[in-house]
Amino acid sequence: MMVFDGFINWIRNFFRLRQDISLGIYGCTNVGKTTLANRIAMDWTGEEVGKASRIPHETRTVQKKEKILIESNGKKLRINILDMPGLATKIDYRKFLKYGIKKKAARIRAKEATQGIVEAIKWLNHVDTVLAVMDATKDPLTQVNITLLGNLEAKGIPVILIANKIDMKRAKPNNIKEAFPQYPFVEISALNGKNIDQLYDAITKHARKAG
Amino acid sequence: MKKFKMKKLKMDFVSSSLLNGKSGKNKINFILNRVKDGSILVVNGVLKPEEEMNLIKETMRRVDDGFPGIEVCSIKRQTKGWGQFFEVLSERGEKLQDVFLQSLTGKPIKTNLKTGLTVIGPAKIIKEIKKNPDSFSVLAEV
Repeated sequence: MMVFDGFINWIRNFFRLRQDISLGIYGCTNVGKTTLANRIAMDWTGEEVGKASRIPHETRTVQKKEKILIESNGKKLRINILDMPGLATKIDYRKFLKYGIKKKAARIRAKEATQGIVEAIKWLNHVDTVLAVMDATKDPLTQVNITLLGNLEAKGIPVILIANKIDMKRAKPNNIKEAFPQYPFVEISALNGKNIDQLYDAITKHARKAG
Repeated sequence: MKKFKMKKLKMDFVSSSLLNGKSGKNKINFILNRVKDGSILVVNGVLKPEEEMNLIKETMRRVDDGFPGIEVCSIKRQTKGWGQFFEVLSERGEKLQDVFLQSLTGKPIKTNLKTGLTVIGPAKIIKEIKKNPDSFSVLAEV
């Protein structure tokens, strides 16, 4: 019986290695998730995932780019990129008016954004590894970041912590590293590609199927 | 003489024993019903990570023109060394127990809050929460 169980496990692992790894890109709004998803997708496929914008909640549905083959340090990995809507505890349509969006469109945007957040949270049950993106120019100790990392830990989902926007003068990536020292950490600029190779190293090293 | 209109701020201090014993869904409904009514809740306990995420999810479902959402902040009791080891062990044990009981009874499991402090309030009133590892300050506007 034990021999049979071992054989079943071997078969399962054999096929698991051949499965794609779903890489969820999570974080607060405007931390550069879509810019990062575009950077990865452009580097390996030459195509973008979605439109990045300075207006919060530009990504309101989960955007996917599947079967991306990445290679770093001789290791190959096939991933599905899942660019998630930015997580938030509040969405006020009035904030969008400041960006020149009309009231009716702002209300629709807010409604879609709330639905996007619900969708992103549901997807936590389906991602294998998470790239937790934080804005290096901002305080990382937000409740959204803490809740996200707490959930991933509880679910046993591997996390790679990313301090983005290091191209900006006021960036303090070390604040993120010090706030959450227990995770693999990479500081990058998704916008200009700085240290992006270090991220690919981290992905090939730490990304794995969840569970 | 100029009359000043007094604006009120309601704060509810809730004992963890009030929330303990409620299932996750009931706990979140209890919190959100009060916060949507304009109260700031101070609880002497911390929700589990999954409950916190469900709180965000449920908040999003309730967002409308008059209720843009919540501000929330919590501090968990810090333990180090063996204390931390036994806490992790007890959390894993609780999780196994929850899964076992739920599969046995088919009913949602009532869970206790962890030791700590949580503030949850309407985003319309709480403008900012600044958090440090061991403390936080709340800026509210009425």
